[in-house]
Amino acid sequence: MERILLALTKLFSKTPNFILHYKRQVLAVLLAISAFLFYGIFSLTVFDMSSDSFLEDENPAQIALDEFRRQFGGDDSVFIIYAARDGDVFSRESLTAIQNLTQDLVYWENLDRSNYGDVPWDELSHIRRVQSLGNIRVQESVGDTLRSDRLIPRQLPETESELQALKRNALGQKDFVGAFYSPDGLYGAILVQTDYGTIPVEGYESAVDVDGIELDDGFASFDLSFDETAEVQEVEFQDTDQLAYFDFDTALTEVYENYESQFDFYPVGTPSMMGQMQGVLDQMAILGTLMVLIFSLLLWILFRSGSALVWPMVTIALSVAWCWGITVWLGVTISTMIALTVLLIFAVGIADCVHVMSAYFTFRRDGIDHYEALSRAYEKVSLAILLTTMTTAAGVSVLATSSLEPIKVFAIMSAMGVVLAFLFTIFLLPILLDLWHPSSIDNKEKSSLADRLGFRWHSLENRTQLLIAAVVAVIVFLSLGFLVGAFINFVIGLTYWIVNYQRVILAKVPAIVESSPRLIILIFGVGFAICAYGATKILIDTNIAEMFRSDHPLTIAVEVVDENMSGAQNMEIMIDTKKTDGMLNVRLLSAVDQLQSRIEERYPEIIGRTNSLANIVKDTNQAMNGDDPAFYRIPESDQAISQLLFMFNSANPDDRRNIVSDDYSRSHISVTARNMGSYEYKALFEEIASDVDDTFKDVEPEFPGLDVNLTGSMATLMVMADEVANSQFNSFALALLIVSLIMMISLGSIKGGAMGMVPNAIPAFLAFGLMGLFGIPLDTDTLLIAPIILGIAVDDTIHFMTHYRIELSKTGSIGMALDSAIKEVGQAVMFTTMVIGLGFAVLSFSDYLGMAKVGFFGSMAIFVALLCDLFLIPAMIIIFKPKFGVKNVDTQTNFHEATT
Amino acid sequence: MIIKQGLTYLTALFLGTGSLYSDAQEISGLEIMQLVEDAQRRTNDSSFNRMQLSSCKFGVTDGRITCAERPRVKSLESVSKNYGVELKDTKSVTITLEPAAERGIGMLSYAYDEAGRDNETWLYLSTLGRVKRIAAGDTDEETEPASLFGSEFTTEDTDTGKLEEYSFNILEETTTSGREVWKLEMIPNEERARKTRYSRQVHYVDKERLVTLRSEMYDRYDKEIKRLMASRVELVNDVWMSRSLTMMNLVTNRLSNMAFVEIYTDLSIDDEFLTQRTLTDAAYRETELEGLRAQLNQ
Repeated sequence: MERILLALTKLFSKTPNFILHYKRQVLAVLLAISAFLFYGIFSLTVFDMSSDSFLEDENPAQIALDEFRRQFGGDDSVFIIYAARDGDVFSRESLTAIQNLTQDLVYWENLDRSNYGDVPWDELSHIRRVQSLGNIRVQESVGDTLRSDRLIPRQLPETESELQALKRNALGQKDFVGAFYSPDGLYGAILVQTDYGTIPVEGYESAVDVDGIELDDGFASFDLSFDETAEVQEVEFQDTDQLAYFDFDTALTEVYENYESQFDFYPVGTPSMMGQMQGVLDQMAILGTLMVLIFSLLLWILFRSGSALVWPMVTIALSVAWCWGITVWLGVTISTMIALTVLLIFAVGIADCVHVMSAYFTFRRDGIDHYEALSRAYEKVSLAILLTTMTTAAGVSVLATSSLEPIKVFAIMSAMGVVLAFLFTIFLLPILLDLWHPSSIDNKEKSSLADRLGFRWHSLENRTQLLIAAVVAVIVFLSLGFLVGAFINFVIGLTYWIVNYQRVILAKVPAIVESSPRLIILIFGVGFAICAYGATKILIDTNIAEMFRSDHPLTIAVEVVDENMSGAQNMEIMIDTKKTDGMLNVRLLSAVDQLQSRIEERYPEIIGRTNSLANIVKDTNQAMNGDDPAFYRIPESDQAISQLLFMFNSANPDDRRNIVSDDYSRSHISVTARNMGSYEYKALFEEIASDVDDTFKDVEPEFPGLDVNLTGSMATLMVMADEVANSQFNSFALALLIVSLIMMISLGSIKGGAMGMVPNAIPAFLAFGLMGLFGIPLDTDTLLIAPIILGIAVDDTIHFMTHYRIELSKTGSIGMALDSAIKEVGQAVMFTTMVIGLGFAVLSFSDYLGMAKVGFFGSMAIFVALLCDLFLIPAMIIIFKPKFGVKNVDTQTNFHEATT
Repeated sequence: MIIKQGLTYLTALFLGTGSLYSDAQEISGLEIMQLVEDAQRRTNDSSFNRMQLSSCKFGVTDGRITCAERPRVKSLESVSKNYGVELKDTKSVTITLEPAAERGIGMLSYAYDEAGRDNETWLYLSTLGRVKRIAAGDTDEETEPASLFGSEFTTEDTDTGKLEEYSFNILEETTTSGREVWKLEMIPNEERARKTRYSRQVHYVDKERLVTLRSEMYDRYDKEIKRLMASRVELVNDVWMSRSLTMMNLVTNRLSNMAFVEIYTDLSIDDEFLTQRTLTDAAYRETELEGLRAQLNQ
C-alpha cells in the first residue's frame, strides 16, 4: 500500500508538466467533447418534475393510484378557503360574490381577458368541476317531487329574514358544513377539481378513432356477444409536471383575486402548493446567484488573484456540464434533485481547486517558479484529492440502492460529478493556471487588483478604516435588510479576520491543543454525546405545513383550513369486491358504513369527514321516505339498495360514476383529513388498515377476493416521503462505514482510520442532533444534506491526515508533522470552509425550509468540521500518537516553546 | 316515451324514399332535422315496444368494436302516445322486466315540444312502492342530464323538439359505411348551451333513407366524449329506422346498446295508462298490457 501511494504521488507530481506539453491537444479534445455534451444538454434534457416520478411505475402505491384514477377520475384538487371581509359568508354581498366567482371559474372562457393580466388561460381547461356555496345542490323531497335544488338559489331572496333562514338551513346540512363553509359562517370554500393525473400520455389515440373500425355484427343481430380477449384500451396517464401546476395556479389565482375586495383567500391543495414553489424557485435563483457571488468574491479575496476566481468556476462549470450532458446522452430523465448534485459538485470542486491553488500559491510566494510550483503542488495534494473523491463518490453512491428513481439518478450523477471534478482538477486546472496565473506574486508593480486594494487599505489610518467599515456595514444593512445584511456583514468581518490573521491563528493552534488536549477531547466528546442523544430523538417526518416559514401564505392557509374546516387532505379507501353488483350487497355496504363511523369516531382530531356510496344510499332512502330522518340508514334488502341507486343514478349519473364503478363492483370512501406529517400519516394509515381488516372480516367469506386499500395522491406522496427518508437514513450509516474503510486502507492504519471517523461523524451528527434536540423534523429534503456534509467533512479530514502522514514519514516526528499539517493544510481547509460554508449559509434565507435547513445545517456542519480538523484531530494525535506504520517515531511535541 | 324519442333525430326515421331531397344544395340542416322529426312523430304515436338495453366495457378485436365483458342486459317494455297541438308532445311509460332486482321499476315521462317548457319524468321504485318526480329544481343551468335506466344514454341524447334552440351547418357531403350522407353540425344557442353537456354534435344523415348513421358529441373543449353508431337500418311500417343504437362513452370506454326487438304502432291506448297509476297499480298495469298484447296478435 505504502509503495502504491508513493508511486501515485510521484505520478501526480509529473502530471501537470506532462499535460502542459500536450495542452493544445488536451484542450481541443476537451472542447470537442464539451461541445457535444452541451448540445445534448440543450437538445435532450428531459425534466421530470412530478412527484409521481419518484415512485417506479410498478410500485404498489402508484398502481393503486393509477387504478383509482382510471376508475374515478383525477383526485388533484385546489381547495380555496375564503374569509368574507364583512365577517359572514352568508351575507348578501358575500353570496353574490361567491356566485359570480363560481360562474367565472366554470365559464372562464367567457371572461373578458382585457380585464385581467396576461396569464396562461388555457390551463384552466384542466378544471373538471367547481363546487361552492354558489352552486352546490341538496337532494330533498317536496311533495311527490325529488328535487335537487341549489342550496342558495341563483336569485337571492329579497328580505334579510329569508337570507337568515337560508343560512340556518345551510348550517344544518351536515354533509356541507366543514366542506363548503365553517360552522360559524366565517369561512367558505371553493373546491376546484382538476383532471391532473388523468391526462392521457401524449400521442394517445383512441382505438375507436382508427379508420375503418366498425361495430361487431352482433350489434345488428340483437344478440350481443362478448369477447373477453378483446383489447380494452387502458389509458396511460401522464405524470403531472410541476410546471403545469405553476401555470394552472397562476391563471386560477388571476381569476379569484378579482374578488379580493370581498374575500381573503387561502388556497391549499397540490396544484396550489406547487404554484407556490414558483416563488421558491425565483427566490432560489437569487440566492443561488448570491451563493456563486460569495464563492467568487471569497476566492478572489483569499487568493488575491483573478485567476483563482475564474479557473475554479470554469472547472466546476465544466464538471456540472459534463455530468449533466453524459446523463442526458444516456437517455436518463433528470429531476429537480439536480440542484443538489450541482451543490455537491460546487462544494467538492471548490475544495479540490482550493487545495491545489493554496499549495501552488504558497510555493509561488516562497519564490518557486511556475512549473516547479505546479509540480510540487500536485505532488502535495493530489493523493488527498483522489482519496476524498473516492470517499465522497462512494458515500453518495450508496444512495443508488434506493428504490426511488430520482434518488438513484441523483446518486449516480453526483458520484460521476465528483469524479469529473477530480479529473478536471488534475488534467484541466494545470493548463488553465498555465494560461493565466499571477505572473509574479511578490512583484508589487505587477500585483493583482486585490493585492493593490489590500495594500492601499493597509496604508490607511485606523480611524479611516473604521469609518469605511462602518459606512459599508450601514449600506449593507440598508440595502439588504436586517437578516441578510447582518449575515453579509458577518461574512465580510470573518473574511477580513481570516485574510489578515490566518497565519497568526494557525500558528497558535498547535500550542493551544498541546496545552490541554484532554480538555479539547472532553469538549468535543460532550458535544458529540449531546448530539448523539439528540439524534436518537429525531423524527423523520415530511409535513407540508412545515415546508415553509410560519408566515408563508401556504402555512397560514393550511392552518386556516385545519382550524375552521374539516381539513383539506384527501385520501381514498378503495374497495374492490371483485364481484359484479358487489357494492349492492347489504352486508358489504353496511360494513362500509361502519368503517366510516368507526374511523370518524376514533380519529376525530384528524379525520374531518368521510363520504361513500353508503351516504348516498342513506340519503336517497331518507329522501324517498318523506325526508324522515329515521330512514337515514342502509335498507334491509339488496334489492332496495339496488333501486335506491337506480334512482340516484338516473338523476345524477356523473355523481354516481364518481363514486362507484359501472358494474357496481368497485367503490371508494373519500376521507378528508387535517394536515399532518408523513410520520403521523403513516401511523394513521396502519391503524386504518387494521380497522379495515376488522370491519370487513365478517363479509370476507362472501367476497373471497375482497380488496380494500388506502390510496390517493396524498397517501402516495406520504409513502414516497417515508421511503425517501428511510432509504436515506439507512444509507447514511452505510456511507459512513465505507468512508471509514477507505480511510483505514489508504492511511494504512486502523487506529488512524478510526480516528478519522470521529471528525467525520461529528459534523453530520451535529446537524441531526441539533434537529432532534430542537424538534425540527428530518424531512426528505433535509436528509439529502447528510451525504453532502459527510463528503465535505471527510475532504478536510483526509487532507489533514494524508499530509500529516506524509510529513510523519518524512520527519519521523509527530510534533513536526502535526505543526506542518496544521499550518499548511490548515490554511487550505480554512479557505474551503470559508468559501463553502458561507456560500451554503446564503441558502438559509430561503422561504422554503427544505432548502433553508440544507443551507443552515450544511454550513454549520462545515464550520464544525473545520474546528474538528484544527483542534480535535491534533488533540487525538497528541494523546493516541498514531504512527501509521512509520518506525522510530519521535512522539514528543513541544509547541509551546516553538511559539514562545 | 323517452326511449322512443331517442329515435327522433338519433335514428332519423324517414318515410318513403329520399329522392325528393337528393339534390342536397337546396335543403338546409334545420330542414333535414325537421323532416326527420316530423316523420318520427308520425310513427311514434300509439306504439308498443319491447327493448333490450345492454351495457358493457368495450374493446377492439380484429378492427371490430365488441363487448369485452358479459354485458348487463335490461329488458324493457314501453308504451307511448302523442298529444297536444299537431301531436307534438309525447307521453310514455317504460317498465323494467329484467333484471330481477329492478323488476317493476317504471319511468313515466312527458316530453314537450315547446321551447322553454321542461320535460317531466317520474320514477317508480317497486321495492319501496314510491313514485318520485325527478326535478332538477331551478332548471337554469348545470343540471345533470338523467341517465336512461343506468345506461350511457341520457335524456339529453333522447330529448326531442326545440330545434329552434340550435343552429345547423352542413359540413360536407360524404360517405360513411358505404352510404351517402350529409355531415351535419348542430350547435346549441346560448340558452340551450347552459343546459347541455355538448358544445356541438355532428350527425351523419343517410341522404336516401334519412337515417342518422353516426353521431359524435363534443364537450366544451371540443373533445369527442360520446359517439352513437346506428346499425340494422330497416323499413318498419314504411319508415327507415335503425333498430340497434349503440352509444359509446369514449371517456370511460363503455357502451350501451339499445335494441328494438319488437315494434308495434297504431295501437289503441287508454289515456289513463300514461299516468302515474300505471306505475303504482300493478294490477291495472297488467290488465292494460294484456289488452295491448291482444291487439298485437290481431
